[in-house]
Amino acid sequence: MEIIVYGIVNSVSLALMALGFTLVYGISRLPNFAHGAFYILAGYLAWVGIRSLNMGYIVSVLLTIFVVGILGMAMYRFFLIRVRGMPISEIIASYAMGLFILEALRWKGLKGMTFTLPVIYPGTIFLFDVPVDYQRLLVVAIGAGIVAGLWLFTKFTRLGLALRGIAQDEQAAMMLGIDSDAMATVATGLGSALAAVAAIVLLPLGNIVVEAGYQVLIFAVAVCIVGGLGSWAGAILASFIIGFAQILTVSYMQSHFQVVVALLAIILTLIAKPSGLFGRQKQLEERV
Amino acid sequence: MGRKSFLCFLALAFFPGFSATLAPLANAQQAQPIVLGAPLATAFLYGWDAERGMRLAVEEINAAGGVNVAGQKRPFHLEVIDTRDLEPGVPVSDALLAVEKLILEKKADFIVGGPVRSEAALAAMDLLSKHKKISILTTGALTPKYHERVAEEYEKFKYCFRITGESKWMVKEIITCLMDIKERFKLDKMFIMVQDVAHARAGGDIIEKLATEKGWQVTGKEVYPTGTTDFSMGLLAARRTKAQVLLIWMDMPETSILLKQWYDMKVAALPFGSIIAAAEQPGFWKATEGKGEFCLANVVNAGNAPSQATPWTMKFYDAYTKRWGVEPEGYGTSSSYMAPYVLKDAIERAGTLDPEKVVEALEKTDLMGVYGRIKFDPKSHQVIPSLDPQEGAVGTIFQWQAGKRVVVFPPKIAMGQIQLPPWMK
Repeated sequence: MEIIVYGIVNSVSLALMALGFTLVYGISRLPNFAHGAFYILAGYLAWVGIRSLNMGYIVSVLLTIFVVGILGMAMYRFFLIRVRGMPISEIIASYAMGLFILEALRWKGLKGMTFTLPVIYPGTIFLFDVPVDYQRLLVVAIGAGIVAGLWLFTKFTRLGLALRGIAQDEQAAMMLGIDSDAMATVATGLGSALAAVAAIVLLPLGNIVVEAGYQVLIFAVAVCIVGGLGSWAGAILASFIIGFAQILTVSYMQSHFQVVVALLAIILTLIAKPSGLFGRQKQLEERV
Repeated sequence: MGRKSFLCFLALAFFPGFSATLAPLANAQQAQPIVLGAPLATAFLYGWDAERGMRLAVEEINAAGGVNVAGQKRPFHLEVIDTRDLEPGVPVSDALLAVEKLILEKKADFIVGGPVRSEAALAAMDLLSKHKKISILTTGALTPKYHERVAEEYEKFKYCFRITGESKWMVKEIITCLMDIKERFKLDKMFIMVQDVAHARAGGDIIEKLATEKGWQVTGKEVYPTGTTDFSMGLLAARRTKAQVLLIWMDMPETSILLKQWYDMKVAALPFGSIIAAAEQPGFWKATEGKGEFCLANVVNAGNAPSQATPWTMKFYDAYTKRWGVEPEGYGTSSSYMAPYVLKDAIERAGTLDPEKVVEALEKTDLMGVYGRIKFDPKSHQVIPSLDPQEGAVGTIFQWQAGKRVVVFPPKIAMGQIQLPPWMK
């Protein structure tokens, strides 16, 4: 039972970390390697709002999500737009931005254990004799809520449909008057805001440390590669595969090997099915 | 007597006196400084507290006139380079570059402090030997291999000293403390959680072996990579196997997460940090919102938590608190503070900075310091430990009780008794 309960929590946590990355790639084909940095930046901004400026939890959290979303849009509009369409340059540029943010935070003094976010609801309950704190249950609830919200957004709103249009066929969408760069800007902003939401939900379970930014990026990339780049359904399925694999590894092998699981998943996927579970990018080459 | 004449008289009367008073200070300021190179992981507790300890000692020594090198007073000058060797991935090469830079570019006369991670400290030994630089390890590296190598290849590694503890002695202290707990509370089941780094793995293995020999049942053991942020499965395993003590040996700040998760899950096992960086710090209470109460932490040397080990202990404690606005935060603070004093003592006895002579002088050190009597083993250059501050360097284990760090071991310096969390009673 422990494995099921904590497997679900771990899987949804991975999905939360990866959704923003998948969204940006799915729409604009842009691998945002600054994703982990936005995650930590959001944690830090929320901490400043709550602990330093005493702005209250709700205000700080909403403001953080908004600011990080705007920063994501600005990053695309002022930097990434210049290298769009050049995959290697996109990776280098976004990774450089991420490095800059993370190392600047480290330089600013983001270190040690003093930077923590409060849990949304304190306390623990026992599910089938397994102790689980409310924050972990909230992770599952918020994760499910975000997936549902994104599905509704892309199915029933003009902006969501435009984003899907660009994701499906960029040139056809442009012929219908959809601005590709504007949609990429929105997607990057939305992806960054999702990183902020993930940070606010997940960071109360730990500390705000720079190293977590690199870890989140690795997990996001692993989930996206296993699931298939740009595929939401694939990302969610991959989150559950990797999430449960990690928990099983810890339970039956050693915690020591937990970090290897994500990297092993990337390697195995690239060998067996480079397009991932639901990816369509390289299917033709694979068939050939 | 006119005003001018009176002033001239005063100047003539007092000038020699003033000159005599100010001469040593002026001499110390003008004389070429003795450069102490400190390779430290400054983003981590064991780095920044060591730097603060050293700076305080250097400031105090310089304010008192400096170091008397064969009649000439010379000030200490501290150069710190961030080694980053406590980061995940253990970048040993970065730490070695830092040591080399201190020696070649900063012209360090002595190396004090780190490298902090055992792997990096061991790797740096050859470099120190090559440049014949005396090094006093003050923080981080706990591996017994360090002083064993000095003993095995004395001529090559005689420049390496360690003024702080090492894991074999620490394990002895921990086992003694654990036996007290076993006797007092009738606990005999232990779950071991260690970090995947050399000193922690070695420490965990030795504790497992010795504790089993002493009648403890080890119900499980988990090894966590540096930077782990989720310990829930390990805690569930401890709960499932009915462990009564959680033996933790980790130097990463994420251990505060472990303690928060322990509290949230109400795991009925007393957390015992053989090394637990996060719980050592005064800020731990606030960071965990009090969830870390009852956690025991070993800070290796007295003076890193308040006690009356020697007359110098609280004098140092108060001076550090006044200088930095925070209490000594954990392992590496008092030992790093003592290193410049020990070096000053040895240099003054040697009357030179010549490494061969200073090595000989360091081997004859006998100084009552912040954490007891400081003497080095002449063969291994490891500081001689003891449970009595009158006999050797004494350690400290404290427990978080109502927001305070209360020293509970060794008995000679204890300020209180170990308590169990309410859900264990």
